[in-house]
Amino acid sequence: MRRLIALTLVALGLSAGVAHARGVGIGAFAGMSAPVLQEDVAKGNMFGIRVPVNLVPLFTVEPYYASAALGEATETVAGVDYTREGFDEKAYGVNALLTMGGPVQFYPFAGVGQTSLKRTGFDDSFTTFNFGLGLGISPAPKFTLHLRGELQTVVDGEASRKFGNVTVGASYALFSMP
Amino acid sequence: MIKNLRLWLPVTMLAALIASGCMLVSGQFIVPFKFIDVGADPVTVDSATSLSGVAVDLNTIDVYNDHKSDLKDVVDLALLGNLTNLDSGAGLTVEVWMVRTPGTMLTTDTAVRAAGVKVWGPVTVAASGSKNIGWDESAALFTGRKALIDEIKGDGRFDLYALGNNGYHFRITKGILMTVISAGK
Repeated sequence: MRRLIALTLVALGLSAGVAHARGVGIGAFAGMSAPVLQEDVAKGNMFGIRVPVNLVPLFTVEPYYASAALGEATETVAGVDYTREGFDEKAYGVNALLTMGGPVQFYPFAGVGQTSLKRTGFDDSFTTFNFGLGLGISPAPKFTLHLRGELQTVVDGEASRKFGNVTVGASYALFSMP
Repeated sequence: MIKNLRLWLPVTMLAALIASGCMLVSGQFIVPFKFIDVGADPVTVDSATSLSGVAVDLNTIDVYNDHKSDLKDVVDLALLGNLTNLDSGAGLTVEVWMVRTPGTMLTTDTAVRAAGVKVWGPVTVAASGSKNIGWDESAALFTGRKALIDEIKGDGRFDLYALGNNGYHFRITKGILMTVISAGK
């Protein structure tokens, strides 16, 4: 999967050159990551960076890096609370966005990446898929505010860990080409 | 080329999603097995020839039964409880061994080592000392994860024994085998 992601990034980079990339930006985001149907970990904060590359109208690719500190889980057994520390999560990958343009836009997106989950007694990395919906508001040229909701699926063998992520962020168009 | 590129990632992602099987409807569930439920609280060991084991049967736990048919993996394990060294003259080192096939409980260190496999430990307690073993610390002490996971993914029945490597006079109270399973349809 790492090879797939690397090839994807290279292909996207080459394609950007062939297609005369319309713009490259940089963005940062922060928010909350909430485990879905996971009793052994709790919600936590997340943050990261994104590099949107607008190749053609309607289509933007976006390499990203994210980090999350998931909360500890507490299980009460026979009146005694037992706690398990949350995961230290690191993720990277690439999203594909269908962007309409304009000062206010809704955009669906999907991505593939790699996520490492680490806590005492556990350290492993997994292929990750995510999809969601974003709202972009551009109050000034080159500057856009983002609100996103996504479902992140970390594939672990025949099962998976899922997280619902809500983030707010901002991006700035570093340069653009006609 | 660009038109194809627009489709490339979503198609790849969908293919991977389908290939990875039942990942959309799955979850991680905690299965706590309390030693007291099988009359093993406390577990007191006085010597290497008078062991007291714990007959684990996860089928007695509703969460395990609810997900046994769609159990995919065991993602976390811990042995919790309080370990007290009843020997005032020497420190204590304890390991936990598993005997896969339940049956007549074994009573000697030699018999358990011959029939079983080490799954956890060691943990050390000073002379006359007591130690609460927490979830995080315990999760890092598993050495026989695969053997135990195989049993949990199997019939869910096996025996656990605490063996002393140094001293052999100790007590375990409020013992729990905490298992986190991944299950999905």
